[in-house]
Amino acid sequence: MYVELKDINKNYGNFEASKDINFGIEKGKLVALLGPSGSGKTTILRMIAGLETPDSGEILIDGEVVNDIPASKRGIGFVFQNYALFRYMTVWDNIAFGLKVQKADKEYIKQRVDELLTLTNLKGFEDRYPTQLSGGQRQRVAFARALAPNPHLLLLDEPFAAIDAKVRQELRSWLKEMIEQLGVTSIFVTHDQDEAIEVSDQIILTNKGRIEQIGTPLEIYQNPETAFTAGFFGKGSKLDYPQTFRRFDIPEGVDDLLVRPEFVEVTKKDEFQKYSNSVSEGTIVEAEFRGDWIELKVDVDGNVINARRAPEAEPVEVGERVNVLVYKLLVTENDKARILYNESVREPVVVI
Amino acid sequence: MHEETTGGKVVKVLLIALTFVFVFLFLVLPLVTVFKEAFSQGWAAYQRAVTDSYTLKAAGLTLEATVFAVLINTLFGLAAAWSITKFEFRGKKLLTTLIDLPVTVSPVIAGLIFLLTFGSQSILAPLLRDLNLKIVFAVPGIVLATVFVTFPFISRELIPVMEAQGTDEEEAAALMGAKGFLIFRKITFPQIKWAFLYGIVLCTARAMGEFGAVSVLSGHLRGKTNTLPLHVEILFNEFQYVPAFAVASILVILAIIILIIKSAIEQKGAKSSDVR
Ligand SMILES: Nc1ncnc2c1ncn2[C@@H]1O[C@H](COP(=O)(O)OP(=O)(O)O)[C@@H](O)[C@H]1O
Ligand SMILES: [Mg+2]
Repeated sequence: MYVELKDINKNYGNFEASKDINFGIEKGKLVALLGPSGSGKTTILRMIAGLETPDSGEILIDGEVVNDIPASKRGIGFVFQNYALFRYMTVWDNIAFGLKVQKADKEYIKQRVDELLTLTNLKGFEDRYPTQLSGGQRQRVAFARALAPNPHLLLLDEPFAAIDAKVRQELRSWLKEMIEQLGVTSIFVTHDQDEAIEVSDQIILTNKGRIEQIGTPLEIYQNPETAFTAGFFGKGSKLDYPQTFRRFDIPEGVDDLLVRPEFVEVTKKDEFQKYSNSVSEGTIVEAEFRGDWIELKVDVDGNVINARRAPEAEPVEVGERVNVLVYKLLVTENDKARILYNESVREPVVVI
Repeated sequence: MHEETTGGKVVKVLLIALTFVFVFLFLVLPLVTVFKEAFSQGWAAYQRAVTDSYTLKAAGLTLEATVFAVLINTLFGLAAAWSITKFEFRGKKLLTTLIDLPVTVSPVIAGLIFLLTFGSQSILAPLLRDLNLKIVFAVPGIVLATVFVTFPFISRELIPVMEAQGTDEEEAAALMGAKGFLIFRKITFPQIKWAFLYGIVLCTARAMGEFGAVSVLSGHLRGKTNTLPLHVEILFNEFQYVPAFAVASILVILAIIILIIKSAIEQKGAKSSDVR
């Protein structure tokens, strides 16, 4: 493990900002710290950087305990949430700052800054001041500035939050590509599940100062372990009257039942349905075209669930009666989550 | 602005006229009077009054007190603004409130406080006598009084600016390995430069003009513990009107110079915050 946090706790006064934080990150990975606002992501990032001190526990970087090493000596690149660019310095001076502090050779500084300007597509902007740049350009300056001294570890706090939606998408893939190309171990903070899923190799999900789950985006998405994780990912809808769905063996004492759109198949009355013996009937409440799919809300005996249909399928109308098949459910019980399958879907299907 | 919304032309003219009359009566007229009186017996008399050895001594002492006040309050102002805006500690609110005390308390009272603290009646008196340190009715007392009344001027300009800037840029610099003084020089100071200069100008103006506290602590020893404002008072009380107004005119000229510098700084500061 390149970065390791062991039993980290951190309080602000009486407020527990980090509780029993344990995780490890392999070298070269791009990891997302994901969680709702106020869940303690920034606190974790700042402790790794050395800008905050944990109350207890150990932080290891490259096998060495760094708790007592000051931030300035940890060799970490940090991209702040609002970038914190030096407003009285030009883009060039911003990027060169770290190298100048290290008293690097003048020629080398010139060459390195030039390299980074090219890498971040900022050629021609080197004499501008931060306020004369767009949000995306500022983000790239912050990125270049953090990378200039060749850090072993790059930390980014909500790097896309301050950028408008259009540019954000573009910057995401750019950053992912860039980090992969450089091979620098990186941790970025985000509250946006789509961003974490799209960009990261691994997700560390935080909630109320604790870690809920760690895994690849697919693992976490498919197999949420806690009630929080189950609710956080996907567009799950809660079932208020689950007994109406057929062929589910719902145990006693469960807390919640969630169904995600991809667990549901909505078919028109005259369409073929392989598992016709386990469908329920519902009414379309809402049908909206979203480009790649049609977003539906279907009322099944009082449960309003989200579902999708392909845009090229025959359209369904609001008020239309349809067949609803639910393949599986997410069940939460005492803060644990698991998956419950539709019995008929589990049975081997005889293909005719 | 739209005239209908502000009550029409008559009101506008009336308000502007009123302001001008007021400014003329309370500012321009007294200033003109100062110069008129100062030159009432010609240039030679004015020159004699201004170059009089007691006047020069008083000017020297005013300069000394002002320099000390600016230096000490610069150090204090930076330290106070830094600790209040960049650190969290107990008693921060109290400190912020206390810093403003010198502008809320009457200078005469301040003078009396120092008189009691360092005078011959105080518990510190034997210690001061042993150290052979004379504060009351001596130059140190004048300096002390001036420092006291100008205490908050620099920190009060710095605190809001530094508060608004936050600590992100400093943290970013520290993470790249920059040390305290380099961070101050390269990151913090450029942010507070104009506010800082502005504070110095205000501090200078107040220090030069200080009368009340200094008057109590001075003892009015001509040529020893007299500052320019005190000297004006003495001359005036001795019915030496031409010299009194001549010395006063020096203070007026200095005040006008400071006013010009102040507005220049304000303009520069505003412009540099546009560029940011
Ligand atoms: N310096 C601080 N003093 C007091 N409380 C803080 C401080 N920093 C963060 N907190 C609190 O800790 C909690 C977690 O904050 P943070 O780590 O910034 O969350 P996130 O980045 O996930 O939004 C928040 O409730 C915040 O108010
Ligand atoms: Mg945060």
